[in-house]
Amino acid sequence: MEDKGKLSRRDFMKIATLSIGGLISLGWAVPAVAYVVGPAVQGNQAEEWLRLGATSKIELGVPTLFKVTVKRQTGWIVNEEELSVYALTEDGRNYIAMSNVCTHLGCRVRWIAEQESFFCPCHNGVFDKQGNVVAGPPPKPLNQYEVKVENDQLYILGG
Amino acid sequence: MVTRFANWLNERTGWRAVWEAIFLRKVPKVNWFYTLGSATLFVALNQAVTGILLTLYYVPTPDHAYDSVQYITTQLPAGWLIRGLHHWGASAMVVLAVLHMLRVVYFAAYKYPREFTWFTGVFLLIVVIGFGFTGYLLPWDQKAFWATTVGTQIAGTPPIIGDFLLRVMRGGENLSALTLARFFGAHVWVLPAALMLLVGVHLYLVIRNGISAPPRKED
Repeated sequence: MEDKGKLSRRDFMKIATLSIGGLISLGWAVPAVAYVVGPAVQGNQAEEWLRLGATSKIELGVPTLFKVTVKRQTGWIVNEEELSVYALTEDGRNYIAMSNVCTHLGCRVRWIAEQESFFCPCHNGVFDKQGNVVAGPPPKPLNQYEVKVENDQLYILGG
Repeated sequence: MVTRFANWLNERTGWRAVWEAIFLRKVPKVNWFYTLGSATLFVALNQAVTGILLTLYYVPTPDHAYDSVQYITTQLPAGWLIRGLHHWGASAMVVLAVLHMLRVVYFAAYKYPREFTWFTGVFLLIVVIGFGFTGYLLPWDQKAFWATTVGTQIAGTPPIIGDFLLRVMRGGENLSALTLARFFGAHVWVLPAALMLLVGVHLYLVIRNGISAPPRKED
């Protein structure tokens, strides 16, 4: 009926239907995938500098506990969370700031001044003044925050 | 390869007969107005796809409904698009369903043997309007709240049963968390079930009876 190599009406309609249908399906599928995976791939919110307090509160050589509230947003819900941070300086110029979260299973460690160590109440993890593991199950030292001092105030980078 | 698989599958499922019944059936010479039903079906498919996507984030409680809708619209990638498609699709649904109905009236396609197809179509229109009415409340903004206040008030106007109807729709005296929850339930469970059932019967009848040709002057 038709010349060889020439597109029949039926085949043309078939191709047109398939390609338009395919385009419309893509028009749904691509936004749908972005929409579904979106919150999973949006990284943590930008970290910001959090003010711990005046550097004058930190005694030389004694880890000092600071509490700071951070806002965390998940979806449309904003929660306030309290971070506890031990700040330490040996010379009044260089500071380190350590999380009080035990690196074993997330319990809160406490500084016991008489023993010059951090103790974790859950599984007897012990850390020294700098947060290095001394005894017990913790696999690595206490996490440290990046710090900066501005106008005699100590800041950590967190969020 | 593809043909061999298609044959293998056909031997076990008989899908070719179904395909032929749906897509290779004989149709009379008709005009573009006869595509309005398919157009309505297409938008219904759009509503289903985008609606399912919206439920992934939407939360039907007074303290989260508005915020979750804002989150979808402003924070999620393509959230504005998904919600926009659902929003405008809702209006398109009503418009297309009514135009489709007018075509059936104008070309006298509701007559024997298609009366039952017409009845299912009438119920489909009611379902579509039900979708619009219940969906309107879900964003839980001022417009939604007051539109539903007025809408349920109208349901409360008939004598004797009016007050009872209003209370059933609102789940109590006033618009509340109960109203939002039951409108959501109706919108995503009750009405879709009804729609699928009715569309199934409607399409079965269209295929079984064939579509009517435009009537001629002499008929």
